[in-house]
Parts: sequence; structure tokens; C-alpha cells
Amino acid sequence: MFRLLEETGFTRVRSAVVPRFRFRKESTQDAAEAYGVKAVMMTGLKPLT
Amino acid sequence: MGRGLTMTGVANDQASLEAVLKDEIIRMYQEVADKPESTFHFFHGREAAELFGYAPEWLDRAPTGAVASFAGVGNPHERSNLQPGEAVLDLGSGAGLDAMIAAWRVGPTGRVVGVDLNPAMCVKAQAHVAATGTRMECRQGPMEDIPLPNASVDVVISNGVINLSFRKRRVVEELFRVLRPGGRISITDIVSAKQLSQSIVNDPKLWAS
Repeated sequence: MFRLLEETGFTRVRSAVVPRFRFRKESTQDAAEAYGVKAVMMTGLKPLT
Repeated sequence: MGRGLTMTGVANDQASLEAVLKDEIIRMYQEVADKPESTFHFFHGREAAELFGYAPEWLDRAPTGAVASFAGVGNPHERSNLQPGEAVLDLGSGAGLDAMIAAWRVGPTGRVVGVDLNPAMCVKAQAHVAATGTRMECRQGPMEDIPLPNASVDVVISNGVINLSFRKRRVVEELFRVLRPGGRISITDIVSAKQLSQSIVNDPKLWAS
């Protein structure tokens, strides 16, 4: 997603992990961790020109 | 010619899977809105909003139904820096909690437009926001073809929605299109460090979740 934002033209793209995100079900959380699934916060700007 | 036929077949398969996925997404998030007391494999409602740092005064002020149906994965308001008078798009506005918080922050001189795949959720979100004495406009439509003109908003917020699309590049291009030059995004979403297995990609229930 980060790369997609930059490739589309967004600048000053920043991302940070949402620290408290997790799935309720332990089995889902385990599978998510195996795939490196996480929640992130992303910001970016559309350039003026 | 054979390759062309194969590529057409792949495109048809993807379109078919996408249609099934769309139905599953509508069904799942409608269920969260209609039966918020149910347990889902993700945290939702006030419990989730508090987990992600939503201000208690926001949650106290919002209609119970909007809070109970919250199904976000983070807090896009944390870094949105919304200012009075700004025009905001909430992509995937659901039951309206994020849109209403945005409406409070941009005030009466600002404007909030929600976009949601499910027309019933649009009706619900507008009613929730109106109940707090403010307003939003909700437009039914897909995130891959946002029903807004070019360069029409200052800020896009979104919470746990873009990951649901098969065509994320297209969605991001749409965000770029509807933003005014100098505009910004503040989105929270689910990402994966590894390529998901085909069994997950082909399972609408897993993908929609």
C-alpha cells in the first residue's frame, strides 16, 4: 500500500503500525501473524502541482 | 489467440470472484450494523473504538447505533488534522461514526461526504449523523469508481476498507483524483507483508474479513 501511494503520486507518505490492533479470535490472530498481517496508519499529500 | 483466450478467462474469473466478494462484504458489514451484539472475529463497537484511542467524549456524543456498529481497524482522526471549513471524504463510511466525528471537526462551514458500497448503510449513516445535529451526504458507490468529481475534497479518511478491494491500485488512483492539489489522506487499513495464499484470495468470506 505504501508503495502504491508513492507510485500514484502522493508525497510525504508516512506509515505507522496501529499498536493495539489484533483479531478477537486467537486462531485468526495466529494466521494473521504468520502472513505478517497488521493494521497501519498511512498519511500522504497530493502535490500542489 | 490461445493466450488471449486465457487472459480473457482470467479476467472473467476475477470479475466473477469480485462480484461474489462484493456481496459478501455487504452481507458481513450489514450484519455488524444489524446485530452489533454478535461476536465477530474482529473487535468492533465501543470496545474497538476505545482500543484505538477514540476520545470518550466523541463516543458518548455519538448515537449508540453508530458506535456499536463501528468496525474500523485504527483511528484515522489521530493524524487527519481536520480544520474547520474543510471538505472531507470518508471512504467506506459504514454506520457513520468516522464521518460524524469529521463533521464535528470541520464544523458548519465544512462538508463531509461518505461513500459506501451498501445503500442501506448510507441511509443509516446519514440518520446517525443527523441525530447529532450535523450533516453528511452519503453516496452509494464502489471505491474503485468513487462517485465524486475530480479535485473535490481536501482530505480523505478511510478505516479498514481499501484492503477489501481486489484493485487497490485503482482505489489509490481514485483517492488521488478526488483530492484537490495540496490535499491529504489519513487512512488506517490492514496490510500483509506476505502474498496471501490462493485459498485465502479465492475465499470471499476470508477476504471480506
